[in-house]
Amino acid sequence: MVILKHIINFFLSLQTSIWLLGLFIAVFFAGAFIMPVREEFRYIHSVPLFEWLKEHPLWITWWLWGSIGILSVLTINTIFCSIESIIKKRRSRQWLLIISPQIIHIGFLFLLLAHLLSSVGGFKGHAVAKEGTFLQIPDSNIALHIKDIDIQIDKYGFITDWAVGIEYFSERNMVKNDSISPNNPSLKGGLNINVRDLTTLPEKTVLLQVSREPGALWALIGGILFMAGTVTLIILKAKLEK
Amino acid sequence: MLILVLSFGMYLFALLKRHLLYVGFLLQAAYIVSRGFELGRLPLAGPHDTLVFLSASIAALSMPISRILKNHSGFQNGIAITAAAFTLLAITFEPRITPLPPILRIIWFELHVVLAFLGYALFAIAAVLGYLFLKEKTNLLEGLQYRSILIGYCFFSVSMIFGGIWAYLAWGTYWVWTPKELWTAILWMFYSLYLHVRLRQWWIGRPAAILGIAGFGVVMFTYLGVSLLMKSSHSW
Repeated sequence: MVILKHIINFFLSLQTSIWLLGLFIAVFFAGAFIMPVREEFRYIHSVPLFEWLKEHPLWITWWLWGSIGILSVLTINTIFCSIESIIKKRRSRQWLLIISPQIIHIGFLFLLLAHLLSSVGGFKGHAVAKEGTFLQIPDSNIALHIKDIDIQIDKYGFITDWAVGIEYFSERNMVKNDSISPNNPSLKGGLNINVRDLTTLPEKTVLLQVSREPGALWALIGGILFMAGTVTLIILKAKLEK
Repeated sequence: MLILVLSFGMYLFALLKRHLLYVGFLLQAAYIVSRGFELGRLPLAGPHDTLVFLSASIAALSMPISRILKNHSGFQNGIAITAAAFTLLAITFEPRITPLPPILRIIWFELHVVLAFLGYALFAIAAVLGYLFLKEKTNLLEGLQYRSILIGYCFFSVSMIFGGIWAYLAWGTYWVWTPKELWTAILWMFYSLYLHVRLRQWWIGRPAAILGIAGFGVVMFTYLGVSLLMKSSHSW
């Protein structure tokens, strides 16, 4: 019982949050000097993060494992502190002022969940394609046809705009006609298909990227909640001071 | 460029005649507008334009604080020196006239950059306020430092969220593991730490002021150090 009380007190403490944030900064700080000098990190996006972590030695990945551990404890700490704060201050008149930091915390937790989902089930694949190329999308019965590539170049040789017309085929039947252009990827069945690079010489060629980010929607929800919480908090604090 | 050199001079002369800080800011604002017309877009890419924007943002956002502090000479001098330093640094970089890559022509990118630099500007102002608090021990200065950081943190967080939305549309992912993103996470966590420690009575005052000054060191490395020294998604 005493041990349980100690554990609960540990997770309810602001001191714990402060230590964890400090530790996280220290671990990421170390990682910031390991990452740029190790060649292995160039391929970190090729597979889901957890898969990549398992494939590489601990002496270059320890800071990422460490940060995952710290964030796991911080998650429990955040949940405990938020629940305690709501219970303690539920009768307060400044209810919105009490709840807005908790909305920020919920947004932060959603962002962590997003990273967890993408780190487990994320996927990225690349393929070079020309007009007329057919590509099989991994783990599906869908094929992608590159219909046309339009690249606009100014007189100085800079690419000013581009568009790639694509068609999705399922069992030899066209199921969707779409176009990819800058900041306008083609979204199909949870996949994001976009162009990472393109060239006109010797012939029009694109480097296509097919990615799956299972955490994208959660990250968006988390971002919106975080934003709403911070803006509300600042407005309310400003009003209170006036 | 002449306008920019003039604005640098005005910031320096603001140490003698304080109202020249406003003249320096107006000149810099005119320079940003003229660059915008020249390029046909918001001038927010590359070290030259972003340093000018940062310098102008510091001068502009310091004005309401200056009013609260009733034209505190130390604060105005600190802001004038900071704005002048960033303007001088901007002058050392060649202004780019190349067209913006198509991928950067989106409102999410513009909002991402504008909000990030407004955040950086408030963190710079907070560092000046923190320094003055250590010298003068006036609680109002430390309180204003906290408020600057809180609003700067809000701008910076929203900038990161908008950056994530843009990255998902441009590159199919909202997070890329490069040194820039890593340092951005360090910076964000550093100011999260500041806001949490300041909830504890012991930290209010000198420790918080020192942390607020140290935070600007992290800002500088995230902005200039990483972009200039390391290969990342934001390299110049």
